[in-house]
Amino acid sequence: MKELDHERFFEPFIDEVDGVACVPASYADADIARITSPLGWRFPLILDEETSLSAQVASCFSAPSSSRFGPYCDNIVGMNWELPDRRRVRVGERVVKSTTGYDILRFLLATDGRFGRATEYVLRLRPACDGGGIVFFDGPQGSLESAATELMHSCYIHWLESMDWLTTGPQDARLRIGIHCPQDEWPIFLMHLDSIAKGRGLLTTVTEGNGQVFDGLPDLVLKTTPDRVISLARDMAQYPGVRSIALCAPAMVHVYLPSGTEAAAVVKKMVWPLADGLHSLGGGWKSRHVECPLFGTDEASWVKSLAKEWGVAA
Amino acid sequence: MTSTPLRDRLLRKIPNVRALVSPAQLAGYDADGLGYKRFVPDLVVIPSDAAELARVVGFLHGERVPICLRGAGTSLSGGPVAAQGGAIIHTSRLRAISKICPEGLWCEVECGVNLNQLDEALQPSGLCYPPDPSSGPVCTIGGNVASNAGGAHCFRYGVTSNYVLGVEVVMLDGTLRRFGGPAGGHGPWREDWKRFMIGSEGTLCAFTRFWLRLTPRPEKVWTFRATYPDLQSTERAIHGLVRHPAFPVAIELMDPRAVALVETSSMAVGLPQDHFLIVAEIDGPAALVDRRAESVAQVLRDAGSADVLFSDDSEMRAKLFKARKAMGGLLGQVRPDYLVQDAVIPKRALADLLGFIYAEADRAGIPVVTVMHAGDGNLHPNFLFDSRKPGDLEKVETISKRLMMRVLNVGGALSGEHGIGNDKSLYMGMVFGPTSLRMQWAVPQVFNPAHQFNPLKVFPERRFAA
Repeated sequence: MKELDHERFFEPFIDEVDGVACVPASYADADIARITSPLGWRFPLILDEETSLSAQVASCFSAPSSSRFGPYCDNIVGMNWELPDRRRVRVGERVVKSTTGYDILRFLLATDGRFGRATEYVLRLRPACDGGGIVFFDGPQGSLESAATELMHSCYIHWLESMDWLTTGPQDARLRIGIHCPQDEWPIFLMHLDSIAKGRGLLTTVTEGNGQVFDGLPDLVLKTTPDRVISLARDMAQYPGVRSIALCAPAMVHVYLPSGTEAAAVVKKMVWPLADGLHSLGGGWKSRHVECPLFGTDEASWVKSLAKEWGVAA
Repeated sequence: MTSTPLRDRLLRKIPNVRALVSPAQLAGYDADGLGYKRFVPDLVVIPSDAAELARVVGFLHGERVPICLRGAGTSLSGGPVAAQGGAIIHTSRLRAISKICPEGLWCEVECGVNLNQLDEALQPSGLCYPPDPSSGPVCTIGGNVASNAGGAHCFRYGVTSNYVLGVEVVMLDGTLRRFGGPAGGHGPWREDWKRFMIGSEGTLCAFTRFWLRLTPRPEKVWTFRATYPDLQSTERAIHGLVRHPAFPVAIELMDPRAVALVETSSMAVGLPQDHFLIVAEIDGPAALVDRRAESVAQVLRDAGSADVLFSDDSEMRAKLFKARKAMGGLLGQVRPDYLVQDAVIPKRALADLLGFIYAEADRAGIPVVTVMHAGDGNLHPNFLFDSRKPGDLEKVETISKRLMMRVLNVGGALSGEHGIGNDKSLYMGMVFGPTSLRMQWAVPQVFNPAHQFNPLKVFPERRFAA
């Protein structure tokens, strides 16, 4: 059987039948939308309108709309990758479903540039709808948490673009729910959310739109389980000036430090007391200001072996 | 024969472990769903728990014999077979569902837990684990994770890798390691090593337990069935469903040959035999799906179907799905053997690929019926043959090879949910260029450099040199 003597690469494309597109990793939201919107598709996993997709992927595992669509690694199905020595390879496929060899794609997406960088991504797109909006719940934190729990355990959670717990201090919290849907379904969502709010004495504020929220790149990301994510966000907001957002379904806390903070020092101060507890749950943390350390000699030797085989410096 | 030197040494080291060596016992382990490729192991070990499994791996590692892990053996790619001889470790006794955490939306299960067993256990919680390969009544979670299994309802819900939060594994030296856990992150590790383990087809480590993500069960389901006289109208229906805001959980296609197979059997449901069949499902909150049902039906009608049926009644829904579910069991009525391929293609290439499959199979005189998880572009042509008939197997393998080349040429993937095993390992050189192949090879170099775990799988050069 004739073996390939060259690398295959993805060329930029959009497939309006399959709902996949190959775009430069440097593209930001508007660049992607310019290609996808005219064909009725969208890529919803955007944290920050201005920042490149590669920077967003490097700083976070998930965006608010991961509540509905999963983390970045479930929505980037292929990429062109440049190793540190400038050799380029294709990783993954242009079709959504594949189990062909080892899953280097998902591994690399979580490596924060230690083994090179993506130059193009193949994105899984989603149908764009003409309706939706943002619904805020306000009221006592116990009632808000109860509302979040009910939504998390109902099948409505599959259809909510996002459900995020926003907090800027121990006494301050809101539940923000994003919805992206056909215009004629918007009243159904509103009625359901209204019944949940009314049953708990919560106030609702509604803004119509497309349900997308842009919170910006967090300084610190914490990964835990869905039943612990709100309390973790609350704990983080006890640090002065810190804003924290719990992405309820992906069970991520995005932490935003006040401007002028010495980010690396503060991140370490926040993370060290938490790390063991998060790790015991199989969770963890990542920050664009501080690199996670290797875990003992085993991981160091695995990384060294991988780096040697991949021809990159460990 | 109930004793061999290897078995005797194993029993001296681990006195009460169950170890099989008689030919009658080994015969049950010589093949998987790819039944015509047979490899008899030298020994089958059935450990009673994870600790014993770890000791068995450590022992076999020291003995320098190939080690193959096996769940229910329902793989369709020649994965859990002793292709280079050696020992099979059968995980059938690791069947504990250790914990279901409804609040945290996760569960902890041992690798031998069966998919339907898990579903039954989850029923009272109102939660579910969505991947649903058709072998669900038999297959194990361990096998599902090893091959990154999918199923009919994966178009919206995703495949196994979307639901594995953590894995506990036995490394080659017999040590237990955990990657991830209930929270689904890296755990203490800097890198996300579990990504390599999931879908690795038993070539890196032995799974013992998993932490799986759970999700609320749908409140209501609507099932749709429609037939189409030609491929063009069928494609219109698929394309319309794929971008419908109801986001169907399943879009299943049967070609006219598959429909005819059902309709000429005792499982006939009254479909026109020369038509394509689409079965689709939507699910979600009742208020939403009830509103969407008519518009989904309209998409099917607008594409050109004159007989769209849809229902939310569970009995009727089962009838609408009956032809699709019945087909697999009917294959053996045509020929004693079958090979089901598992390519994923861009959906716009469906006509090209189906035409190619028909032309190749008809020319070779090999009956073929095709089904497809159409939402994902996951094509399953079933080539029916008789491996005892000289030349039949060679014909099927030639068609498969040519089909896979065509799949790659249209931008598709070799496998969507069955894995590579030893069935498609020869084609891997057509997928990866020199550098990307080196990157692939680097992964077993880290964890299983001598290829003692499951040799001759995924890449044909992975031969264990004892």
